[in-house]
Amino acid sequence: MSHAVHGEIDLEVVRELVSHLTFSDHQEAQELILAALQEINEHFGWVSPEAAEIVADHLGTTVNRIYGLLTFYADFRTEPRGKHFMLLCHGMSCYVLGSQNLVQDLQDRYGIADGQTTADGELTVQVVNGCLGVCDRAPIVKLDDDFHGNLTPDSLNDAIQRAIAARRANGSPPHGNSSVRAG
Amino acid sequence: MATAASAPANDAARLSSRDEFVAFRSAANDRWSRLWDAKSSVISVGVGSCSIAKGALQVLAECRRLGGDATVRQVACNGACFLEPWVEIKRPNEPPVIYSNIEPGEVQALLTGQLEDRAAGVRAADAHRGIPPLDSLPFFKHQQRIVLANTGIIDPDSIEDAVARGAYSAYFKVLFELTAEEAIAEVTAANLRGRGGAGFPAGIKWESGRKARATPKFVVCNSHEGEPNVYKDRRIHEGDPHRILEGILIACVVCGAERGYNYIGGEYPLAIARFRRAVADAERFGLIGKNILGSGKDVAFRVRTGGGAYICGEGSALMYSIMGVRGQPRTKPPRSVEEGIWKRPTVANNTETLANVPDVILNGGAWYASIGTPKSAGTKLMTVQGALKTMGLVEVPMGTTLGTLVNEIWGGMRDGHRFKGIQTGGVSAGPLTADHFDLPVDFDSLTDVGGMLGSGGFAVFDESVCAVDYARYLTAFNRYESCSKCVPCRLGNPALVEILDRIRFGRGTMDDLVLMERTSKHIIELSLCGLGQVAPAPLLGMMKMYADEFRSHVVDGVCPAGVCPIGGAEAVLAAGD
Ligand SMILES: Cc1cc2nc3c(=O)[nH]c(=O)nc-3n(C[C@H](O)[C@H](O)[C@H](O)COP(=O)(O)O)c2cc1C
Ligand code: SF4
Ligand code: FES
Repeated sequence: MSHAVHGEIDLEVVRELVSHLTFSDHQEAQELILAALQEINEHFGWVSPEAAEIVADHLGTTVNRIYGLLTFYADFRTEPRGKHFMLLCHGMSCYVLGSQNLVQDLQDRYGIADGQTTADGELTVQVVNGCLGVCDRAPIVKLDDDFHGNLTPDSLNDAIQRAIAARRANGSPPHGNSSVRAG
Repeated sequence: MATAASAPANDAARLSSRDEFVAFRSAANDRWSRLWDAKSSVISVGVGSCSIAKGALQVLAECRRLGGDATVRQVACNGACFLEPWVEIKRPNEPPVIYSNIEPGEVQALLTGQLEDRAAGVRAADAHRGIPPLDSLPFFKHQQRIVLANTGIIDPDSIEDAVARGAYSAYFKVLFELTAEEAIAEVTAANLRGRGGAGFPAGIKWESGRKARATPKFVVCNSHEGEPNVYKDRRIHEGDPHRILEGILIACVVCGAERGYNYIGGEYPLAIARFRRAVADAERFGLIGKNILGSGKDVAFRVRTGGGAYICGEGSALMYSIMGVRGQPRTKPPRSVEEGIWKRPTVANNTETLANVPDVILNGGAWYASIGTPKSAGTKLMTVQGALKTMGLVEVPMGTTLGTLVNEIWGGMRDGHRFKGIQTGGVSAGPLTADHFDLPVDFDSLTDVGGMLGSGGFAVFDESVCAVDYARYLTAFNRYESCSKCVPCRLGNPALVEILDRIRFGRGTMDDLVLMERTSKHIIELSLCGLGQVAPAPLLGMMKMYADEFRSHVVDGVCPAGVCPIGGAEAVLAAGD
């Protein structure tokens, strides 16, 4: 899963990641552009211009083409994430059980909408249009590595505050046990 | 994740002839029998993306720690989300018993026999110690499992488990016993229609693919599943990846394609990991590559993953995405079977379609056609969303009624929720109500009343959901996911959302309802691809089914569900739109 390294992108790591993507001709190289960007996005939480340039050089294409992709596919980010990253499911189970209230509450309480990061750099939210596949616990979010289900605006806020407090307490990047907490 | 091509080839495992495959299969069968005849217990934990979210990995770890001499194995989710996390225990001389909703901290008690009240069912024909057969529970009773036959039973990471349960036997038949024409004839006789939404007969598509002259040719499996209303294809990947791979490889052989692809939605890491593992194992054993099992046939394979753009599920957009550009559909003709990936003939099928193929080949088209209804043969995977009691993924014969699905299989509404309607066809059709519960669910029956089978995802909503707001949600989805290539879709959908917002804020008029119908007509008639051509359908369906509710917003200034901010300050909405 994501290593949630916010901010800096170690270009040596990027070179290492793309070096595994080998190809036998230019067609295959083009088929690997998205894969390369996905690996970088997964690893660092975003793709920087320098990282995009490494991909373009390795696969024989241009940075412009890379930005055409980064701005089309919703999973990519072109700015660093906050210290915590949250996927908020807005699929249909989540919608019919109130995810719109969660979206609204994030706006009211934290001032963030889809794709945005709080002013203090603590939290980035990405609203997922598909379905996270845990529909029986809707509405649900995945905050860092943990799922939180059956949410109300208040229980979501508690979950966010607990995650921030836990990170500050042990001073380490957030990571958890990937299980649904009650609220 | 790197491409499968980077996995080192281990030639030691490679099966290079028919006989070597037959020997491998019989060894796998023996291993499977030994597992279940063992003198010690076998503990299986259902681990899928759905149960991981509920702690299944910790339950698995606890079973390993405390299991003593038992064999502890990982299987996948069996579809019954409401039982998760579940643990199956097969004690010597007993049928396997499935225990439901096990927390990591309860494993000790479970293994020492103190949680017998959690026994949900036995995997056997008869009750045992008063525990009913799993198949007698309402959730399982109506099911007929072909695609899901092994899901929750085999370890998805084990090619031996899969082969013991029949994997690659149909592939073997296609490689050595059937001509391409005979194999396609079975698929045609089966009346296997596409499960990706449109219901196009797979046999006809394959025949065009086989006849296409340009080379090389390709086969691509569409596992994008970016709709907000369904979670079936990722579960097949998580539960029985070899079944999908076998279906693709069969299609490659009979269509004469030199390479198969699977394009998997990027949001499903476990599905991707398990499928990649299956491909690596199939390569290791020589089921992919050159001169497969000595047949003289070659098939290569590539896995590609999506980036969170719903439109990439559309056939031509998907192929552009594979080619490393923006996934924007193009006009047809030429169809993909004439010009697809790298302008070569490409046969594209949905995951579920291809996952049915091995059984069609093994048991014959006539057998498959005898299941379901005359025009919609076979079974269909269906998922549900909303406040239901026993939720999950099921496989039922085509023609099972909507009411059976909602009220029996999925257990009806949870306490505190009153049924209002059921959205069908995802973001591409309209809702149905309790008046439609007698309708058989198949490719055609729902369409006549404004619904749609689509990919088989149903969203049940209760009286807390406002029809106008729901219509906005569905239209906003299509607005956001429009690829922006053509004007009617790019500008028409935002216009609809704007009008809907006017109505939600209490500033709509009766004229707005007419305007929405007119705008919808433009979008439907003039859009380039399937997204735009059906984008207004959910809105039109909601307007028809809940006409009173729309009227009450614009005439009385009242939102009956109490959802819409009527009279509130018009703000820019933060929605995921
Ligand atoms: C906007 C849009 C999204 C689609 N998404 C999917 C999808 O996620 N999976 C899928 O199999 N088919 C999807 N389709 C249908 C495909 O275009 C195509 O019909 C299908 O993959 C063919 O396979 P089948 O004949 O086996 O169903 C989509 C179509 C449109 C217009
Ligand atoms: S209808 Fe919409 S999604 Fe389809 S090509 Fe036009 S703009 Fe793109
Ligand atoms: S809709 Fe949110 S988990 Fe399925």
